[in-house]
Amino acid sequence: MSRYISKRLFSGIITILIVFAINFIIINAAPGDPIKTIMGKESDDPVLRAALEEKYGFDKPLTVQFGIYLKNSLKGDLGTSIIYDRPVSEMIGERLGPTILLVLSAGILSLIIGTIMGIIAARREGSLLDTILSGISYVLNSVPSFWLGLMLIILFSSRLKLLPTYGMTNQRASYTGIKYILDVLKHMILPVGTLLLVQIPTYFRIAKSSVLQVANEDFITTFRATVMSERKIFNKYIFRNAILPTITMFGISMAYLITGVSLIETVFAWPGTGRLVLTAINQRDYPTLMGMYLIMSISVAVVMIIVDIIYAILDPRIRY
Amino acid sequence: MESNLNNKLKKTYKIITSDKQLTAGIIGLLIVLTVIIFAPSLSTHDPNFYGTNVLSGLGENGHLLGTNKMGQDIYSMIIFGTRTSVQVAVISALISGVLGILIGGIAGFFGGKIDQFVSELINVFMMLPTFFLILLIIALFGNSITNVMIVIGITTWPSNAKLMRAQALSIRERTFVKAATAMGESKREILFKYIIPNGIFPVIANTTIGMSNAILTEASLSFLGLGDPNIISWGQMIYEGKSYITSAWWISAFAGVAIILTVIVFYLLGDGLNHVLNPKHANGREA
Repeated sequence: MSRYISKRLFSGIITILIVFAINFIIINAAPGDPIKTIMGKESDDPVLRAALEEKYGFDKPLTVQFGIYLKNSLKGDLGTSIIYDRPVSEMIGERLGPTILLVLSAGILSLIIGTIMGIIAARREGSLLDTILSGISYVLNSVPSFWLGLMLIILFSSRLKLLPTYGMTNQRASYTGIKYILDVLKHMILPVGTLLLVQIPTYFRIAKSSVLQVANEDFITTFRATVMSERKIFNKYIFRNAILPTITMFGISMAYLITGVSLIETVFAWPGTGRLVLTAINQRDYPTLMGMYLIMSISVAVVMIIVDIIYAILDPRIRY
Repeated sequence: MESNLNNKLKKTYKIITSDKQLTAGIIGLLIVLTVIIFAPSLSTHDPNFYGTNVLSGLGENGHLLGTNKMGQDIYSMIIFGTRTSVQVAVISALISGVLGILIGGIAGFFGGKIDQFVSELINVFMMLPTFFLILLIIALFGNSITNVMIVIGITTWPSNAKLMRAQALSIRERTFVKAATAMGESKREILFKYIIPNGIFPVIANTTIGMSNAILTEASLSFLGLGDPNIISWGQMIYEGKSYITSAWWISAFAGVAIILTVIVFYLLGDGLNHVLNPKHANGREA
């Protein structure tokens, strides 16, 4: 087991190193000189230029520069946003909370709902219900998340006037305690709902196909031959085996959510990292974008390693 | 000779109609192609023409699906947007497919150190958040449609490579490959004459599904303001319509429907091809 964990950790570290390398290559390969890219196109302050040259060692060979970049980043220094004149890590850090709130709620809810839908469809394979659920999943899989968010705004806010569409709290009222929590929950319904809907197909498909696969295996047929009750076969053998692949899917889905949430935050003006990304794109604030890419990649790598380890604990066959 | 061709056509027709998803996908593809070819005659207005009827509603002033803030006809924009989406889908999928086939084929066929290195590389790339990488590169290198297509292509090859590698691993053990080796054919000849042509089918299916993802990626980039401002694209229409979502919903709504329909066509095609071409899924057990 510890060998498996150390192997996974090793490839996680390699992944993160490659992300550093990608960032480094991109900034050097981009049109124009790298300092100009970091400084922002508008500013041309010679003092700032000299300070940046000094800090990143731009007069030194590329390998040394990469070393300096790695060292700075490991100390938590992801560069400075010239537009806001603030450290990138600080700006990302203070906006991480609302984003994580959205990602985790949507991730866990879609895991539960999608898996249940998949199991229902598999148990009644070929029925009308299966056809309907599979159809819904197929369409949801093709829907652009941000468009779905906009449509939900039209439906629930403009027409039905039921739910708030903007921000995380009601700006006009300053609630505290339980009222504050309820207010945030109310604001969460549409963004979480959108992410949930686009994530359902992922779990639906994997749950349905793995239930069907396990149900057709020889040992299940043997149990049926012994007249064991269908319910016991399902609860004790099919469910436990079929649920395993959804756990791996959780890691992949989280990776998608962590990057996809930016689009949804843009739609609902959610005060998380997504809006930081949007303003960074509009202002061409490259240090912030690169910092975000780094943070996202590290989060995805960490989530995937944790998921792999959980999987290995649950399914001993995987520990090769 | 003629009856031979006839037979082949009949066989192909039989294969296509044997799978519901493939049939639906091909019908959808024919419709999409018709729209692309006859876009000028199908549209009612010049999509680039800035009219005076700003923000007309449905059917107002002869605009079937209304107009946007510049007075452009939404219906005609959607018709011409098909060209952009399909262009992005096809070219990026081609790049991704060719890269995946070459990298995966070489890794699986040669094995050893090369394979170890490539496999680890594929694993690492599958762990990276691709969409944000694409976003970062487009932001730095400029948001032209050419860049979008190339970047989607060069960031999505790992899943194709993974499939091709597995195929190459099994095909190189087959008798006809061993026979070719014994006949003294060079490694390169074997790779291109036997391994790739025989192992390409799952990659073709996967690439078709990749086309759907490319369409969604292009739309997402446009929605974040990284679309090519010189072309008409559905994602950009949704982006423009966002500010008018409560007053002029039609700007965003129909462009989204167009995306969904096109994406579904390529998903159906991909799934259908997978059922027909990939022996593993021959039983149609997939959801």
